[in-house]
Amino acid sequence: MIARVRAGQPEAYAELVRAHTGIALRAAAALGAGPDAEDVVQQAFVKAYCALGRFRDGAAFRPWLLSIVANETRNTVRAAARRTTLAGREAALVGAEPVIPESADPAVATLETERRAALLAALEKLTEEHRLVVTYRYLLEMDERETAEALGWPRGTVKSRLNRALRRLRRLLPEGGAPA
Amino acid sequence: MSGRQEEELRRLREELRAYGRSLDGSPGGETMAERVLARILAQELPAPEPAPRPRVRAIRHWTRTRRRSLVAALCGLLTVLVLTPPVRATVSDWFGFHGVQVRHDPSAAPSPDARVPGCAAPVRLEEAARRAGFTPVVPEALGPPDTVSVTALPHGRTLISLCWRDTAGRTIRLDQFPGRLDFTFTKTVREQPEWLDVGGQGLWFPRPHVLTFWMLDAEGRRFTREERTAGPTLLWSPAGRVTLRLEGVQSRVRAREIAMSVTNGGG
Repeated sequence: MIARVRAGQPEAYAELVRAHTGIALRAAAALGAGPDAEDVVQQAFVKAYCALGRFRDGAAFRPWLLSIVANETRNTVRAAARRTTLAGREAALVGAEPVIPESADPAVATLETERRAALLAALEKLTEEHRLVVTYRYLLEMDERETAEALGWPRGTVKSRLNRALRRLRRLLPEGGAPA
Repeated sequence: MSGRQEEELRRLREELRAYGRSLDGSPGGETMAERVLARILAQELPAPEPAPRPRVRAIRHWTRTRRRSLVAALCGLLTVLVLTPPVRATVSDWFGFHGVQVRHDPSAAPSPDARVPGCAAPVRLEEAARRAGFTPVVPEALGPPDTVSVTALPHGRTLISLCWRDTAGRTIRLDQFPGRLDFTFTKTVREQPEWLDVGGQGLWFPRPHVLTFWMLDAEGRRFTREERTAGPTLLWSPAGRVTLRLEGVQSRVRAREIAMSVTNGGG
């Protein structure tokens, strides 16, 4: 596919964009782009197009693209941080509520919302490295190899940091995880 | 580690995955693709060049390790290289718009006195709709078409063409097809087209350009790419499902009027 884009076949890049828009939007949101997620992703796809010449043949496209999305998000968040307070950002994050069927018990729904808020607060308290590894491995559902590639870390490092991050998260959550 | 801890960690992973999925944006892949391609065109970004081969990389590594001595020797030469713009590929820019591929090629040679082809082997409008599987839109500004024809496209898709004769006896032609990203037409232009607001986004090609399109061969078995010169053309997609291609109207204002009469009439 990438070879076809390099050969000047536009439909190939359109296909790449279409195939990866969902995960790219998720990555931007998970890394804190908030309402700017769409703009961040659009910018990332344009940058990826320009950088396609440097893409290593045989490498996976997704981790490579997501590292560009992560970069763009960082730049945007840095600029937005001057405008938005941390409290406001947290409120925006909590706004992404879990999907609960309408028929669900409202008490359960409240509990789920509280649990999600606690989870996000705990994520915020992690170190940058720990938050990143949890985000790539679970929020973006990448496997260990892809996570290592996207973060530019050795696989062993991904494994050990992930273990430590999960344990820390568990301790940060009330009662080590209330029963649902 | 206790079984309870193990269970808590398992649940935590599930919660994190569920949270990730809740962040997925609306499935706007199509719009994102078009936005990205439009940006690439607007900024006239060059097509990505292939990565350097290992051998080139090895040379780069060699120069990097001997940078200091080389810099002095090559200074004059480097200046010349930096000042000389890299040779751009002939076809350097492209983008897609509702199933039409637009290529930018300054060397394209449209013929000077090409005419808009009429609708061959005409059928009735209802028959065209039945064969194509969609109802063609008829712009109010043009009224009922004089002739209608149906053409097969690859992958079982169909093109409907409506034709009118203007007062000077010239043909106005409106091609319609289900727009997708596998390209039905390719337009090779010497000048970039301009965006035009027709209720949605439209693309106006003010100058004659080379149009490549699908043709069935004489036996009706194999599709081939044919080329002809097309005059000023307006492209738009009123409902997002069908792409319209209006040719034979010389004035941008009039073309826009016709396009708006589709959008307003509800198609």
